Amino acid sequence: MKRTVPIGLLFSTGGAYGTIGTACRNGVLEAVARVNADPARRIALSVVERDPDGNLDRYAPLCTELLQGGVRHIVGCVTSSSRKEVIPTLDRHGGTLWYTVPYEGFEASDRVIYLHACPNQHLLPLLDWAFATHGRRGYLTGSNYIWGWEMNRLARQTILTAGGEVTGERYLSPGSTDVAQMIAEIRQTTPDFILNSLIGPSSRAFLTAYAALGATDPRFAPDLCPVLSCNLTECELPDFGAAAEGLVAAGPYFHTGLQSFPNSLAAAADLAIRTLADLLDAPGREDADIAALLQTPAGHASGIDPQTHHMPQSALIARAHGGGFQVIRDCGARRGDPYLSADWMMAASPGRPPALKVVW
Amino acid sequence: MSRGVEGGDLGGARAIVLHRPHAVVASVTRQLQAIGLSVESAWPDLPADAASADFLFFDADMGFDAQFPWQPGAAPLPLIALIGSEAPGRIEWALSAGAQAQILKPVGDGGVYSALLIARHGFAMRQTLTAAVDDMRGRLGARQTVVRAIVQLTRGAGSEDAAYDALRRMAMDGRITLEEAAARVVATPAVDRRARKGTA
Repeated sequence: MKRTVPIGLLFSTGGAYGTIGTACRNGVLEAVARVNADPARRIALSVVERDPDGNLDRYAPLCTELLQGGVRHIVGCVTSSSRKEVIPTLDRHGGTLWYTVPYEGFEASDRVIYLHACPNQHLLPLLDWAFATHGRRGYLTGSNYIWGWEMNRLARQTILTAGGEVTGERYLSPGSTDVAQMIAEIRQTTPDFILNSLIGPSSRAFLTAYAALGATDPRFAPDLCPVLSCNLTECELPDFGAAAEGLVAAGPYFHTGLQSFPNSLAAAADLAIRTLADLLDAPGREDADIAALLQTPAGHASGIDPQTHHMPQSALIARAHGGGFQVIRDCGARRGDPYLSADWMMAASPGRPPALKVVW
Repeated sequence: MSRGVEGGDLGGARAIVLHRPHAVVASVTRQLQAIGLSVESAWPDLPADAASADFLFFDADMGFDAQFPWQPGAAPLPLIALIGSEAPGRIEWALSAGAQAQILKPVGDGGVYSALLIARHGFAMRQTLTAAVDDMRGRLGARQTVVRAIVQLTRGAGSEDAAYDALRRMAMDGRITLEEAAARVVATPAVDRRARKGTA
């Protein structure tokens, strides 16, 4: 007879990033079903759900509800601002957030396990690819919040350190589809690539308008001036349609037909649930704090860095084609380095080879 | 520069908390009121008379330049950043906005008092330094005028040293700076000066 341990889910399935929240939620539910069906495991997981519906101010109260209801581990949050909102609550109640989406780095909370990629695992390998294959003149777009700001700041720094040029930089409020000025600037400044850190409807509007530009002006066709993204996964491709064709994405996982996960969010959700089930498998572990869990043999085997709470991730570069992704470069597994303390930037400084240091 | 940080005169000072309605505002407000300040909260627009307040606490996570009715970094009052995300881009922005002190979110039971004193000290220091730098810039800019004045005066005074002494006397007599005296010498045609000298 398995012990049943409750876990919390805190995803917004509506609002500006509801598609991503839904993909994460589905990934978690399927992973939980696999754990529960696994006869080799001594525990089963039950799920308690709260849905903040994309409202930033609902995350902390709902997180409190989950923790006060006897849940210790929560899988959830998509935006960094929502993650920041729940950390104080997790701190107060000794809870842990399992965070399954890409983010901009510069955090290593004791209360969070980071299961998707951070910039040394997504943005830096992607820029490295772009510098080598297209050039070092980039146009930067993003949604007007921490993800867009921080991705573009790091991209700007990386481009300038490599002797390149930022031909323009523009932001849209989440939900805004007013992309005309971006398109005009891109047309005027003819960059080598575009880094797109827009989310949801803004990203769709931008990609649609840019595809239309590329159809009339070959200088902006995807093979000459591609759009790059660290936050686009298969879950949004059906919604974006042909506009995403030729986009180049970085991520730890792409659905290639051979493997089972529909996208990297589901793969990260599966990693979260499998790791959590491993950590909780031995009797009595459900009451242990995450720091104690990471000290167990299962904790050591989990791959979670006890200092940063990040995981090694494959750094894959893939091109959108025909509604899916094709991996075009595998940069190998990289440990998570949220504060970029390794010599990622040094490797691109003047006087050294311009390419970022990559383990092929 | 050796000014102490005593905070006895904080009572009655006016603080504005620029942050969306949130538990952070309540914690900061409670602490400020306990110290004796009057507090207003605002978001996203500052009240029209914000520049006349004594302290401004602002949200470093969602804040933006257009919220401040002054040039970035030229705030007329001490600024304290309320920081949630420690991402370098946000820290960079908080610094460019002119933060003199910071408090990390979530805000608990302390931190506001030390932030007030540190911010006020930093602000006063910046004001003093800015005034000193402006003065020195003015003097640097007037170098050429001083040289021209000395050259002009040397003809009458006989030597550069004597000309410099003459210029310094003019400044002292007129209770003006050496640079201002030099500007007057340069602005006055030599004929006039000789003529006036002759009639004295």
